[in-house]
Amino acid sequence: MRAEQDTTLIPLKVLVAGGFGVGKTTLVRSMSEIPPLLTEQAMTAASIGVDDAAVVPDKQTTTVAMDFGRITVDDSLILYLFGTPGQSRFWFMWDELARGCVGAVVLVDLRRIDDCFPAIDYFENRRLPFVVAVNEFPGTDAYDDATIRDALALPPDCPLVRMDARRADSGLTTLITLVEHALARTTAAAS
Amino acid sequence: MTAQEPGREAGRVVPVYAVTGGRTRSTGRDMPVEALVTVTAAGGRPTELQLEYRTIVELAVAPISIVEIGATLGVPVGVARVLVGDLADAGYLDIHLPPSAGSDGGPSVEVLERLLEGLRAR
Repeated sequence: MRAEQDTTLIPLKVLVAGGFGVGKTTLVRSMSEIPPLLTEQAMTAASIGVDDAAVVPDKQTTTVAMDFGRITVDDSLILYLFGTPGQSRFWFMWDELARGCVGAVVLVDLRRIDDCFPAIDYFENRRLPFVVAVNEFPGTDAYDDATIRDALALPPDCPLVRMDARRADSGLTTLITLVEHALARTTAAAS
Repeated sequence: MTAQEPGREAGRVVPVYAVTGGRTRSTGRDMPVEALVTVTAAGGRPTELQLEYRTIVELAVAPISIVEIGATLGVPVGVARVLVGDLADAGYLDIHLPPSAGSDGGPSVEVLERLLEGLRAR
């Protein structure tokens, strides 16, 4: 095995989470420098909501489509964005994706605010840095930040931003907010 | 061997699970989907390799991740991981793991600062 510890090139990842149809794919694609790509992740059927995994042979697999995008940050830093599967029954995938991530953007559609609760719970429970990003659909500017924070029961230090997932500059601002938040938390934890 | 047989790229001749010998897990290595691979200096041009392996080595002229390789080849990530593992073992590829690989923590302060700087410069 060669250069296993080579750290010249550094891959990083950010997860994009939220309910079905909230704009995860749109955000990943608007920010990515590579054409839209879907990957298939093979999963054992035993992982998918089967109570007695022992009765399911290991070889039964299913595939889950997953959006991802890429941002080459500098000569050696490459950031990947992963749209997490919207359906909760595929959440077993998140643990592998979430391991070592910078953090997550949880997209919220204020017309269907409940859809983002599972994602918020997931990242809170695992103490992963995340920002809540309100994807500004028509008619969703009627709520002020305090109302939204209250409705989502957000921790005080969790950033709340408003964005347009179709616009790369808007996505970039959201990403910067996430990294600032992750950095602040990592710095605080280290001191 | 630069000329492909006509139609060779269009359809898979051999099922990819035959290429991996039915393996969907790489041997003893935990490569996250974002792990990057590059060709080694000594790798050379692997004309003797099967199509999937050769394609990966050609893709890895520039840094590319496991997940991109899977999507480009049209195979699940687990299969891409096995193929990459084989090529790394054979000396064709270097693997660049995330700095936090093997721990539950996220990237370090230094890495996050570089990321922030890079994003702000865009």
